[in-house]
Amino acid sequence: MKKKPTLGIYGFTGCAGCQLSLLDCEDELIDLFSAADIKVFYEAMSNNDDEALVDIALVEGSINTNKQLDELKEIREKAKVLVAFGSCANHGCVQAMALGDGKWEQRFKQVYGDAKFTVAIPREAQPIHKFVKVDAFIPGCPPSKIQMLRAITQLLFGNKPTYTNSPVCLECKFRENECLLNDGKLCLGPLTMGGCTAPCPTHNTPCIGCWGIIEEANHIAELKLLKEKGFKTEEIIRRFRMFGGSEIVEKIEKLLEVAK
Amino acid sequence: MRVLKLSKKDENKLYDVLIKFGEVWAPVPKGSRYVFDKIEKKEDLIMYNEFIRTILPIKKFLMPQELNILNFKPSKYEKPKVDIPTRVIVGVPPCEIHALNILDKFYTTDFVDNYYMERREKVIIIGKSSLPDEYLFSHKTNTSIVEEGYDLFFIDLGDYYLVWVGSEKGDDIVRLGSDIFSEDVPVDVAKDFVAYREKRRKAFTKDIDLEGVTDLMELMYDADFWDEFGEKCLSCGQCTMVCPTCTCFNVIDEIELNKDEGHRRRYWDSCMFKDYSLVAGQHNFRESRAERLKLWYTHKLKAFIGHFGSPSCVGCGRCIITCPVDINVETVVEKLKG
Repeated sequence: MKKKPTLGIYGFTGCAGCQLSLLDCEDELIDLFSAADIKVFYEAMSNNDDEALVDIALVEGSINTNKQLDELKEIREKAKVLVAFGSCANHGCVQAMALGDGKWEQRFKQVYGDAKFTVAIPREAQPIHKFVKVDAFIPGCPPSKIQMLRAITQLLFGNKPTYTNSPVCLECKFRENECLLNDGKLCLGPLTMGGCTAPCPTHNTPCIGCWGIIEEANHIAELKLLKEKGFKTEEIIRRFRMFGGSEIVEKIEKLLEVAK
Repeated sequence: MRVLKLSKKDENKLYDVLIKFGEVWAPVPKGSRYVFDKIEKKEDLIMYNEFIRTILPIKKFLMPQELNILNFKPSKYEKPKVDIPTRVIVGVPPCEIHALNILDKFYTTDFVDNYYMERREKVIIIGKSSLPDEYLFSHKTNTSIVEEGYDLFFIDLGDYYLVWVGSEKGDDIVRLGSDIFSEDVPVDVAKDFVAYREKRRKAFTKDIDLEGVTDLMELMYDADFWDEFGEKCLSCGQCTMVCPTCTCFNVIDEIELNKDEGHRRRYWDSCMFKDYSLVAGQHNFRESRAERLKLWYTHKLKAFIGHFGSPSCVGCGRCIITCPVDINVETVVEKLKG
């Protein structure tokens, strides 16, 4: 019998919702555990083999301490394929909403004062690709069941997972919704990676971009449009940043220039 | 072609006739717009007076947004067995019937698309004329009046509808509903009909000058305004999804976890997306948004003529009200005309 691929599911800083979403695939869990030899699954198992070499590592969460950074590097060494699993690992998610503004230390002091940290030294939240080579990613906050299982299946077959390189608007229109931008709402659908099946706009709630920024995102055009609709620059930028993580940082300067 | 009358007194009995032929689908309100939805109760079948532009056109019945087209195993593959219901679609405006005729040509010329055809054969089109709203410009695309492509077609002439029979299926409907469809159509009805046509003709207000646009698309292919549109475009793809004559789709194979089987999924794609023109070796034929917009407008206003004899824009006005940044047939034609 062919040896099953080994799989490790690791978690750093985040809500652990990505791992939970995987556990939530109740009907498919037996298939998953049959298809892969799961060595590590922090949220689901107690006998994790942290030393194991794995074929595939799914890494959830952002890197928020030096200790996590060391662990991440170890996982990288042990894994043949390392996958950023969910928004925190991909681009930093909400904990990275102020990334690169130069005020992290000030904010940290405001919250923790002069507390001494000995076990793990905190640092500004960063996505994992800032530190190690990431071979593939599964987007989502959390990833959708369909897309996640599809990606894991592709990985177990030795392929690179495909993802939806089209914005939320595609699936939003599939569900025959009116465009919320035309309704004067601050919707980030056109800037945001699809695959979520657009549940928020379907319930008349604008997209907040939780799956991360799509490759083709035209932030400048959206900024101009939203300003025309009466939104203030600060509000728009704050929304762009909310789930924009590391991806938006390099665009901010240009956006502020355009906003003037 | 036959023509009959349906008195408005009997309009509420129409549903009972149509339901004998299949599911009844008609426009129902959704937010400030309408969508074609399944009608379960006869009182929900409403023949709206005004022009109804549903969010998605009727192509959704013929080439669904997402469709499983193949199940496969190592040993065999088969087309999924699906029971496609007969659907009677009520209230289809003339421009959309023209779009349907275009889709028919597209999907049956050279190669017949069986997934389209098996749905097309199960659709009964009940068209309806109405006065245009401020966005409809089908009078400029020669699609405001329809002569073929419907099974029945309703024209509101005050106390009654004039009902044109356009197919055998349509004829079956009026025969089964002979207690409400009257053959008593006296010659003087023609006067009312001509007066309605004239009133409708004059009611069009959207003035888009499409004359010569086909040639201008060629001449203006390298004009600067395309780049300006490219900078504005959000690449959201809504234009292609709401366009009644856009047909592009993507096909991907999906494998089931821990099973030796999978399926092939076909879903609407958009030429506004970067991956649409991405090919092996990471080459992209249309890297920039401006190039993609040019492709779309060339297709709508020019290229289709060479293949099928007419442009593929039917003047429904969906792009005008849908594009959040006002890139649409109207603004493009304005730029083409300088």
